[in-house]
Amino acid sequence: MVSTYIPKTLEEALIIRKETGARPLSGGTDLMVQYRRGIGVTPKFPWPIMIVSNLKELIGINETPDGSLCIGSATTSSEIAASPLVPWHVREASSRMGAISLRNLATIGGNIGNASPKGDLPATLILLDASVVLASVEGERTVLLDDFIYGAKKTLLQDDEIITKIIIPKPARPFTYRWYRKIGTRRANAITKLSLSAAITIDEKGVITDFRASSGAAGPKIARNKALEATLIGKNVEDIPSLLPSFLADYDKIISPHAMPEYRRTSTKRMLEYFLTEVSKRPSGEIIE
Amino acid sequence: MAKMPIETAVRRSDAIAKASGTQKYLSDMTFEGMLYSRMVRSSIPRGIIKNIEVPSLPEGYYFISHKDIPPEGKNELWMIAKDWKCFAENEVRYVGETIGLLVGPDRNVLANLLDDLIITYEEHEPAISIEEGLACKGGAFVNDTNIFCELEIKTGDEMDEVFNRADRVFEETYRTGFQEHVHLETNSVACVQEDDAFVIYASAQCPFYIRKSIAGLLNIPYDKIIVRQTTTGGAFGGKEHFPDVLAGPLLVAVNTIGKPIQMVFDRSEDMEFSVKRHPSRTIIKTALDDKGAILGMDIDVVYNVGGYLSCSFVVLQRGVFHATGCYGIPSTRIHGRGVATNTFPSDAFRGFGAPQTLFAIERHMDHLANFLGRDPLELRNEYLLKKGSLTNTNGHVYEEVKLPEMIKQITDASDYWRKAKEYGRGTGKGIGIALYNHGGAFTGNGEQMIIKGHARLHKHSDGTVDILVGSTEMGQGFQTALRKIAAQVLDLDLHMINYDNPDTSKVPDSGPTAASRSTMIVGKLVERAALLMKERYDSEEDFHVEVEYEHPEGFPWDQNTFQGDAYLGYGWGAAVVEVEVDALTSEVETKGIWVSHDVGHPIDELLIRGQVNGGVIQSLGYASMEKMENKKGYFKQNSMSDYIIPTSMDFPKMESFLVDNPYEFGPFGAKGMGELVFNGADAAFCEAVSRAIDRRICEIPIPPETIVELEIHGN
Amino acid sequence: METKIDFTLNGQQVSVTTDPLRRLLDVIREDFGLTGTKEGCGEGECGACSVLKDGKIITTCMVPIGAVGGSDIVTIDGLKETEQGKTIIEAFADGGAVQCGFCIPGMVMAAEDLLRSNPHPSEDEIRKGISGNICRCTGYDLIVESIALASERGDGLW
Repeated sequence: MVSTYIPKTLEEALIIRKETGARPLSGGTDLMVQYRRGIGVTPKFPWPIMIVSNLKELIGINETPDGSLCIGSATTSSEIAASPLVPWHVREASSRMGAISLRNLATIGGNIGNASPKGDLPATLILLDASVVLASVEGERTVLLDDFIYGAKKTLLQDDEIITKIIIPKPARPFTYRWYRKIGTRRANAITKLSLSAAITIDEKGVITDFRASSGAAGPKIARNKALEATLIGKNVEDIPSLLPSFLADYDKIISPHAMPEYRRTSTKRMLEYFLTEVSKRPSGEIIE
Repeated sequence: MAKMPIETAVRRSDAIAKASGTQKYLSDMTFEGMLYSRMVRSSIPRGIIKNIEVPSLPEGYYFISHKDIPPEGKNELWMIAKDWKCFAENEVRYVGETIGLLVGPDRNVLANLLDDLIITYEEHEPAISIEEGLACKGGAFVNDTNIFCELEIKTGDEMDEVFNRADRVFEETYRTGFQEHVHLETNSVACVQEDDAFVIYASAQCPFYIRKSIAGLLNIPYDKIIVRQTTTGGAFGGKEHFPDVLAGPLLVAVNTIGKPIQMVFDRSEDMEFSVKRHPSRTIIKTALDDKGAILGMDIDVVYNVGGYLSCSFVVLQRGVFHATGCYGIPSTRIHGRGVATNTFPSDAFRGFGAPQTLFAIERHMDHLANFLGRDPLELRNEYLLKKGSLTNTNGHVYEEVKLPEMIKQITDASDYWRKAKEYGRGTGKGIGIALYNHGGAFTGNGEQMIIKGHARLHKHSDGTVDILVGSTEMGQGFQTALRKIAAQVLDLDLHMINYDNPDTSKVPDSGPTAASRSTMIVGKLVERAALLMKERYDSEEDFHVEVEYEHPEGFPWDQNTFQGDAYLGYGWGAAVVEVEVDALTSEVETKGIWVSHDVGHPIDELLIRGQVNGGVIQSLGYASMEKMENKKGYFKQNSMSDYIIPTSMDFPKMESFLVDNPYEFGPFGAKGMGELVFNGADAAFCEAVSRAIDRRICEIPIPPETIVELEIHGN
Repeated sequence: METKIDFTLNGQQVSVTTDPLRRLLDVIREDFGLTGTKEGCGEGECGACSVLKDGKIITTCMVPIGAVGGSDIVTIDGLKETEQGKTIIEAFADGGAVQCGFCIPGMVMAAEDLLRSNPHPSEDEIRKGISGNICRCTGYDLIVESIALASERGDGLW
């Protein structure tokens, strides 16, 4: 008979995790659906479950002394979407996750822990070099999110660990231009078919000092390649049009959509091309639409 | 006291209870000692059952199968034919075919038993698509040809001869896919014993159909089965015959176990293992003379029936009769076939075969116009049916056809002509128009020969009147519309008229709530009965009036040759849809929807508007996003996150017009409209997108990924 | 493994002792007999199972009862007794928003949730506010108009 735990503190949760391997359930929006068994039937899990949604230590959005943002893993998507402290990309992704009811339940920790290739938050978090803090009775460790999720539904979470925080470092300078687009299966209440997050920073001389792009739902894990991004860094924004064709061809290689490959490749290319072309015109607004 | 005109909107009597959550649907009901049940189904598309290993059953749990059908009963569900088995015996024809029921008090235990029950099969090669069915892949399993049903109709000259003298020929193939009803309330039925009868509670459109279908399982007379319709949370045709598939096994189970049993599908079961709209392939070949005039059309229609016939022959007939749409074509040959495949049987869905062929003819007219270098709307106008026109069954259109007025309404309101010219083709913006119709009620003399509907009114001494008919409210507002008709004729306040969910032991059979016949036929019966009651109302305390359907004279129809007046009256529709296709993502934003309908005369303006809104959005969903793929016998989309239907943000508010065109044989001039409103927005949407991306589109649905394919690969 | 869970339901302090993984939807419908909250999909997609939890709209088919301890839950049965709930329900009835009715309790909850944060929403805002509630019958136009009607009639309530 599988047990269910409702720890009252994080400390208690870590002990239970160590002793029983119980899996954390926060919003339940993934787990309760994946393991559902019908009307009036209790979902059945292959492991013990530990409900962590109400643990105060896991809820909250705070700025740390060095300017990074720290989000508790049980913070809901709607809380994240509403917080002015949260970076724009993450707020955009958060506000488009599912529907209002889902956003009031779904948590950032759950979205990361589930590690679905179609999950809304990881693409923007990885764009921003976010890390996850993993706690166990032994202590804590911090792992870059891009390393933490290494495949479809595959993470580096150890059996005795719980995701407690997500740390988003502040970029050296604010982005000059930003892009986020989620293509859903319909205009609302939709699973992501494809997403593109991008950001670029340009100095007074027109030199690109920072450039990032990440694609969601375009492969088993979020696609982001820093080496490819580096090919634009240090160049002048005016050179973008001439660099674009080979950049787009190289970017195409980092995404690996299993389904609808033509759609995903074509749309990714068009969006990236549009973003970079618009940026090279130096528009006045920060958000490219 | 001045009477309001009938079309004045009233508040529906069920609105407050439904909105407050106090209205009970079947899954909200409990019966003393009630057991639950789960269906055991085939997990393969085709083969023979070798072994069923039932896990050890705790006390109070049962496994029911064909073996529990008593010797005097027959293992068949009598829909139209008797081919649909209540329980598969050894052959299975599709994934989801009913093999048995697990019954017991605790649903958690049932879920575990269902997981532990193991069926082994000898698997055979399935035929899934229309082409595979026609090719008899894996060997024919119906008749020797896999053709369940077939018909052909002709008008004018022989088409072979017409093609011989034609100057040019234009031929194209059109396809539509499966569509799932997604009624918000899933399929739900319960069966209890009451004295010496079995009572079926069902979320259903046709209580009398259920009774007829399942009585043979136990070989009991009809009066030993009582069917009570429960408040139904949507149907759209998905609860016309399909409740039989739940009720039959439950009847057998209750007969064996002797306790009340309930079955409510969860959504993924309902999506994966219930009837759908027939996928179609329509080939239209048009003969043209040297001036580009249409000499004739040869139309080949094939519908994917699935594993059992259900009502597919009737669906096919309607598809064939609507194959030339709103147009009078000098010579025609229309051939229809329903092909057997190893997929879940397809069945009724709003439009009932007409949407598929109407989609085809509308696409054809648009592409034919391009082929001829003509404007699509001008081409249509040249061939529009008129009063007196010959139909494709050699019958006539008896009513004034108001399409020209309707076209003007929507082209003016949408600024269609200016936009069509400005947007051109390939600019990312497009506007399309479609014309459509829907023959009201049962084909030909079906009302008279097959249904023979009855309606009864009962006046009580307190002055209130009960309407006693077998028709059902499923959201369309019929309980309100019918009460309005009676109230208006009897000159009573609406609250004096009662109309409860039908109980087959208390009401006469008025025929199915389908075919857009309820207002037109049953409404007329109630109007007649009310007129008769009115004469006696003041002088008698407590009395009944019952009337039977009378077919108007002078509308010949031969059901063997399908010749004559297929329908006495048609609903007519016109739709304009404007779109913008995103240059980056190929997502389609619908910028405007303008529709006009001729429903004779509205019984309630708000009910009509609600039906128009709902039908048009369903049609737009059918065209734009409702993809239901069957891969090797398995439906790929089996949840509401994968099979997507429109939300409130997917389409803008629509502008809806009506034209008044009272129908001689309908109550207050009303005609059917429940299905009409589905039949055209899909084609208008498709044409709008086609113009926006400058590609020919002959198949729906067209989600963005399909649009990108068309953009890249052209035609 | 049964656990005692205390929470507030429609203003009353209640308690259940049950498997903490049971869905809140089943507890509401079966343990408390409140069948106004419907199951339409079981996966949080349709909104028919919506209630307010601590003032926020949620879909109960994906919430384990074990996460509800200490929460304030309001179902359609509670909302219908309030002035706000009655205003919305009456507006729905007059506005032609109700057809088969199965999605409507969820829509009423969504309307309440919307009007609480935005008492005078525009048409677009209303459409967004109910975008998590699926209706198959109405095509949404009359529901949207009914919510606008409720907002107008209930001026000052939210």
